[in-house]
Amino acid sequence: MSLSRRRFLASAGLLGAGALAGEALPAQGEATAPSAPRSVSGRPARITFDGRHQAGILTAPGEAATIVALDAIAPGRAELIAGLRALSARARDLAHGGAMPEQEPDEPPADSGTLGPVIAPDGLTATIAFGASLFDHRYGLGARRPRRLTAMPAFPDDDLDPARTHGDVLLALSANRRDTVVHALRELLRPVRGAFALRWSLDGFLGGDRGPTPHSSRRNLFGFRDGTGNPHTGDAAAMDELLWVPRGGDEPAWAAGGTYQVVRAIRMHVEFWDRVGLREQEGMIGRRRDSGAPLGGRTEFQDPRLDLDPHGRRIPLDAHIRLANPRTPETASRRILRRGWNYDRGFDADGQLDQGLLFVAFNRDPRRQFEVIQHRLAGEPMTDYVTPVGGGYFFAPRGARGPGDWVGSPLFAT
Amino acid sequence: MIRRRLAIPLALVSLLAGCGGGATDRHAAARPDLPAIAPGAVTETSRSLRIAGTDRSAQDVATAAAAAPDAAGVRSELAPLPRAAFRPPIARWRAGSRREAAAFAAAVARLRADVAAGAVAAARRDWLAADVRLARIGAAYGALGPLGVALAGRPGRLTGGVSSRRFTGMHAVERALWTARDRARLPVLTAGLVRDGARLRRRIAAMAVSPLDYTLRAHEILEDAQRDDLSGEAAPWSGAGLRVTAGAYAATRRVVGTLRPLLEGRGDALEPVESGLRSFGAELAAVRRAHGGALPSQRALGRRERERLDGRLGQLLEALAAIPPSLETRLPSAIPSLP
Repeated sequence: MSLSRRRFLASAGLLGAGALAGEALPAQGEATAPSAPRSVSGRPARITFDGRHQAGILTAPGEAATIVALDAIAPGRAELIAGLRALSARARDLAHGGAMPEQEPDEPPADSGTLGPVIAPDGLTATIAFGASLFDHRYGLGARRPRRLTAMPAFPDDDLDPARTHGDVLLALSANRRDTVVHALRELLRPVRGAFALRWSLDGFLGGDRGPTPHSSRRNLFGFRDGTGNPHTGDAAAMDELLWVPRGGDEPAWAAGGTYQVVRAIRMHVEFWDRVGLREQEGMIGRRRDSGAPLGGRTEFQDPRLDLDPHGRRIPLDAHIRLANPRTPETASRRILRRGWNYDRGFDADGQLDQGLLFVAFNRDPRRQFEVIQHRLAGEPMTDYVTPVGGGYFFAPRGARGPGDWVGSPLFAT
Repeated sequence: MIRRRLAIPLALVSLLAGCGGGATDRHAAARPDLPAIAPGAVTETSRSLRIAGTDRSAQDVATAAAAAPDAAGVRSELAPLPRAAFRPPIARWRAGSRREAAAFAAAVARLRADVAAGAVAAARRDWLAADVRLARIGAAYGALGPLGVALAGRPGRLTGGVSSRRFTGMHAVERALWTARDRARLPVLTAGLVRDGARLRRRIAAMAVSPLDYTLRAHEILEDAQRDDLSGEAAPWSGAGLRVTAGAYAATRRVVGTLRPLLEGRGDALEPVESGLRSFGAELAAVRRAHGGALPSQRALGRRERERLDGRLGQLLEALAAIPPSLETRLPSAIPSLP
């Protein structure tokens, strides 16, 4: 092995243990991104991997995403730790970007080179989370399972495919461009082949930024704006209430600063949807398709004033927006932070487009938040046009403290 | 079933708002228990703006004009239909569906007997016959409610999937018959089918079917079949999807047949539907001929056969989707503005 390669690997944190960073950490990677120029989408060009909370949660979703569920195949706890450590180290380097190391020409290059000799960070975030199955007997983690982490149940309108559901470790990648995500996944898997096996993956993309304002929500594949009702990520108190596991609660101490991540692959039957009248489509959603305004309104972020419409004169009582977020004082603390991407997987066995929504939600208690919403939505008119086919429940722990630390390290601390 | 619930709040809108006027709304007010047909878009402007010098809105004038047949005797599909016009078609459909339900009940009774006798090959034939009968009833999208789930629920809706103890009904029997797993459950599972099969006729006799339900069914039976059956998703073990799709096709022809008197001489929805039905039917017949006189398992279909079936069905569905909007019983009401 050449010196140059060794140096590269060391910088990637695979060989040497870097000094543990101090306690004074930013609340979020994004906040301290060094001289981060903004991309067109408003997502910074460089998003620091480390931070009190992992990047890629509060961060605005990038144009492209890939979510990969991995099964742990590490023979023992030490190999599992090494794999997680390598994932964090490589993700940190990729998120930072930089020049590829010089190498001897007879060695396989240390990087695939698909982004050229200088890797631009391109707003890459890599978020790592754990599924309930990681806490089984294999690695002796059973006693440390986050209390609210279970395998995702099947809901009555689901048609879950076991091959696209659950997983020990979830890796969520997002960036401004597709090739950055593709590159990152390829590089991240390289050092962990003996620790993790691919279980399922799903690629997502955002609807284009077509205005009318920079804040306008992107469109999903039903043609409607999606994510309008999200809580504000800049509201730290709301995020503490809705997302972050607090210190000193009933959760294991290592889980503080983390959050529960719900992933759902939701097939959308787009051909069928396209055969439905516009008025019926808008009634099912509760919004206008063109502007995204609540029915009866003019602009996207207008309050639908459900309180003034108890009989559904404006917005039908079973419209999606009303069921998903009734906007009452009782439901305010049950909101979730949604992060969705469209997906397009080609077509199925009978020639129908296989498209849908890669739905991601963060919350502090899936039972109290996500599932309550899910039960409200059960049987909504839209269920005929969508089929949840996969996904899972995961726990995204707090962020790494800096080079040398890694996502999940507190779980293994003795 | 889910889809038609849309109509109820819309009917409420028109009652509470008291807006509009004319024969259509009076009719809706006279029968508040019956939801109205899902409307197309009408802008607020067309309702509220008055034509200069008159007290009539553009919408009033358009509605009146639409109700009159043109020189060729064809009425515009914008003219609302009286709800009573749907009673004979729905009654005919119900009678036919009860006959199919009786045939289903007989098929699952044979299935139970053959299972008890240990005759697996015969039981498989019974199962296929029963599954096709279920499709021929033509109750799309959960119209049968919990009974439909009990009869044909799929494992993907259950935590634990096929290993769940709550996995029962036709597809649990299918899995046991074709994979030889959990065969010991067959007596209990088939007894459950016989019990639920007996309830089916009563359920069909009793279930409320509104004009909106019924016109939506014209395309939803086959939408359902395309999504679940022709895709191979619903019956993965037996490969019965194509046969079930043919059953759904027969049910759709029956629905369209009952609606033909309403569609004739009204708009232009009927002709593409008839031609789509003919062409998909011809494709099914061609596949049947090519496979020795019976529809094969989906796995036995060639690529060309698949592509033609998918394409003809898609074309037919596009045509069928024009039926509900052309058979509206009233025009949509305006959505009140947000303050």
